[in-house]
Amino acid sequence: MPPDARAATVAGPARVVVAARRPPRLGRFAFGIAVTAIYVFLLAPVAIIVFSSFNPTEANTFPPGGFSLRWYGKFLESERFVGSFRFSLWLAVVAAVAATLIGFVTAYGLVRGWQRGRGLVQSLAMLPMMVPHLLISISLLLALLIVPVPELAVLIVGHVLICLPFTIACIVASLEGIDAQLELAALTLGASRARALWEVVIPLVAPGLLSALLFAFMVSFGDVYIALFLSGPGRTTLPIEVFAYMQWESTPVVAAITTVQILLIIGLGLVIERLVGLRKIMRV
Amino acid sequence: MAKSILELSGVIKRYGATLGVGPVDVDLREGEFLTLLGPSGCGKTTTLHIVAGLLSPDEGCVLLGGRDVTRLDPQHRDMGVVFQNYALFPHKTVFDNVAFGLRMRGMPRHDIVERVGRMLTLVGLPGVETRLPGQLSGGQRQRVALARALVIEPTILLLDEPLSNLDAVLRKRMRLDLRDLQQRLGIATIFVTHDQDEAFEMSDRVVLLNHGRIEQIGTPEELYDDPTTRFAAEFIGETNLIEGVVVVAAAGPTVTVDTPEGVRYDAVAPDARLQSGDAVYVMIRPERIDLLTERPAGGLVMAVTVTKRVFAGDIIAFELRTDRGLLLRSTKPSVVEYRALSPGTRVWAVVRDCRALRRDGGAVSNA
Amino acid sequence: MPEGSARAGRLLLAPIAFLYLIALLAPIGFFLVMSVFRYSALDLWVPTVTGENFARVLGESYHRAIILRTLKIAFFTTVGCLALGYPLAWYLARTTSAWRGVLMFLVIAPLMTGVIVRTYGWIVLLGSEGTINTLLRGLGLIDRPLKILHTELAVFIALVHILLPYMVFPLFSALAGQDPDLERAANTLGASRARTFLEVTLPLSRPGVLMGSALVFTLTAGAVVTPALMGGKDVQMLGQTIYELTMSTLNWPLASAVAFVLVVCQLAILLLYFGSGRRRAA
Repeated sequence: MPPDARAATVAGPARVVVAARRPPRLGRFAFGIAVTAIYVFLLAPVAIIVFSSFNPTEANTFPPGGFSLRWYGKFLESERFVGSFRFSLWLAVVAAVAATLIGFVTAYGLVRGWQRGRGLVQSLAMLPMMVPHLLISISLLLALLIVPVPELAVLIVGHVLICLPFTIACIVASLEGIDAQLELAALTLGASRARALWEVVIPLVAPGLLSALLFAFMVSFGDVYIALFLSGPGRTTLPIEVFAYMQWESTPVVAAITTVQILLIIGLGLVIERLVGLRKIMRV
Repeated sequence: MAKSILELSGVIKRYGATLGVGPVDVDLREGEFLTLLGPSGCGKTTTLHIVAGLLSPDEGCVLLGGRDVTRLDPQHRDMGVVFQNYALFPHKTVFDNVAFGLRMRGMPRHDIVERVGRMLTLVGLPGVETRLPGQLSGGQRQRVALARALVIEPTILLLDEPLSNLDAVLRKRMRLDLRDLQQRLGIATIFVTHDQDEAFEMSDRVVLLNHGRIEQIGTPEELYDDPTTRFAAEFIGETNLIEGVVVVAAAGPTVTVDTPEGVRYDAVAPDARLQSGDAVYVMIRPERIDLLTERPAGGLVMAVTVTKRVFAGDIIAFELRTDRGLLLRSTKPSVVEYRALSPGTRVWAVVRDCRALRRDGGAVSNA
Repeated sequence: MPEGSARAGRLLLAPIAFLYLIALLAPIGFFLVMSVFRYSALDLWVPTVTGENFARVLGESYHRAIILRTLKIAFFTTVGCLALGYPLAWYLARTTSAWRGVLMFLVIAPLMTGVIVRTYGWIVLLGSEGTINTLLRGLGLIDRPLKILHTELAVFIALVHILLPYMVFPLFSALAGQDPDLERAANTLGASRARTFLEVTLPLSRPGVLMGSALVFTLTAGAVVTPALMGGKDVQMLGQTIYELTMSTLNWPLASAVAFVLVVCQLAILLLYFGSGRRRAA
């Protein structure tokens, strides 16, 4: 029996690298075409909208006959569109902040309260995602009819509800990447729980919080269903305004508006990507 | 004897129906280096966490300088903790990491700078203040974690397997440095490890744990020479264990043990309560077996054949077989006479001394 | 972990539990309960219990047709999303290209532009003066514009397009989470690319498939805007029915009964997801 504790270090066997079999060129080529086609499918309508927003004529044709910014002009002139755009922005900011705050508290509770086995509880936190937004909206409208609560508040609540699954997912993903022992270390060094949170957790979860804010903003801004039932005079969101418009007319001003919206969202998306890196958030 | 600064009294921690650890009765003395040693899952880290205040025991109490701190927050316990993965704040510089505890105590900036500088020099890392943990090597991070825990001048230092993430060479060196530092600062320390060599090299006393129970508490010598349970005998170093029955248990510390191979041993029994008829193990450390080519006059002698021989640098390990089939292990210094002994050779094995351990699995309480 | 914190952690869920209770569960619960109340032209509903709403929803052929059409479209949309989404998710999960972040963003970006935006895009594409028709006429393949809008096909295409990202995410998550050594191991044991996929990758991605399908099915069944814009009066789905009953006809009890049917279908799907998903819970 060799007292290996005292033996000289033994060299291990040479590592053997096994290369995986590479698929045939044709197969990969076909696959590449397929993926590209899917991307085209995914992005074409969006691209088309952008292009047709510059259409000088009224028809919804593509390719557009020329180049014109008149629809952008129409958009900016229109009181109802600009007004609802402003309202949508405001609403999105409020909903995003609220959803991020509640989301943070919830995510922290989830990650720290369950060392393992939080699958079911976390799924429950995602509830609004599993319920048709339509249903949420109608129910809130009903509640409104019964309980005297300001309609604006209910609209905000509705948006917060649909944003929460996103913010929770973002922040949970971020928190999971933080070593639980860091907070313990801070405690043993004399920090109170609050201090430990502020000094250690918040700085490290900041990217998650930021991406939660931005995701929630995008969800709220783009929402149609909640606002469908809960909008009203003075509180109409841009998508609803557009939807109403589209029921009766269909001019490229819609394209102009949506292009602006796309630019806004792409801008925000790039900010997320810069700050956080999408890979981390996609682990929903 | 140095006075006690920390006492664990009747501490028990359960996880549902399973025992985490306990009952734990142990004290930590001034300036002492106490190690909690045992295999994974034995409860050593749990005990450390209870001392630090990161866990509450289900029963028992923790007394710090006579004061009951069992329910006291870790924030107020004034203990320095080094975690297994160091838990350095990744977003703060080395300086901010080490200064953290001092900031929590409201020390003025100027003093902090000075103290941090001194501590970093003390642990052998002068000048790294502005680096981030991510830019440091494993060994450096370990020292920063140590500095962070020590700079607050805590009453007790708690170390949770701080060396297990380092490679072997670095580990050996850190052991010495760490022990050195501890002695220089004179700070009472509790050290957790599963590595028996480490425990022996560094500790004043060792608490040996197994499946949540204390097997034995003692100095490294006591644990090595006089283990009180089979687990202790086998966990610490190598040993021969032979089943036997006590035939004579006189008033003194020695008992006579009969074994199936027909050999009779006079063994020292740490447990004074052994009586005639009790089942025991005879424990013989490999280096306590002498090998001679000529039959000596007296002593406990057996005729054996060498069956295996392993050369391990500074020592040689032999497997020996008695005529009745008993297998023994013996280790001898790697000198000419022993190098010459090859398998098949017949020699005389002389047992210089041995111990008798109770054989029903029950540990002898050492409290 | 200081255990106080595990307990305190669970307490932190109180705010959201409260919110969900009073803003989500209670209102929805109450709305669904209305399905057994009687309709009144004067006060929206009268609290007398009656089964007439369900009788109408399940009995009248008009409503039955809508339910079946909704289920049909939801099913095909799910399949369509799966067919297109799986290759995309697989590619994203396995690619080592430096453009990966951008490619992933390109999948999310359309999602965030909102339903209206993308539906409008399809109107432009599929309208009688739209791109497809213009292209086909230009190529001389047809003389009169094809009627694509206001058909189930149009709704289907638009829905697949809009909901595709919702399928890609869970799939990507499941696929990316797989240990890459598994595929390599299968390969070295002699399995062909296809075999490896069928026997190793696909089964392991099942939770992702189920989650994505559950999501897409939910979203399709509850869709209003897209079917309304793409299908108009010719393609009526449950969502539009509920909308009209609530906003125009003001027959809330009936709307509730329809919504109830919708929820039941959905619960069935969710149970399917949770049922088989949980058996394989990590």
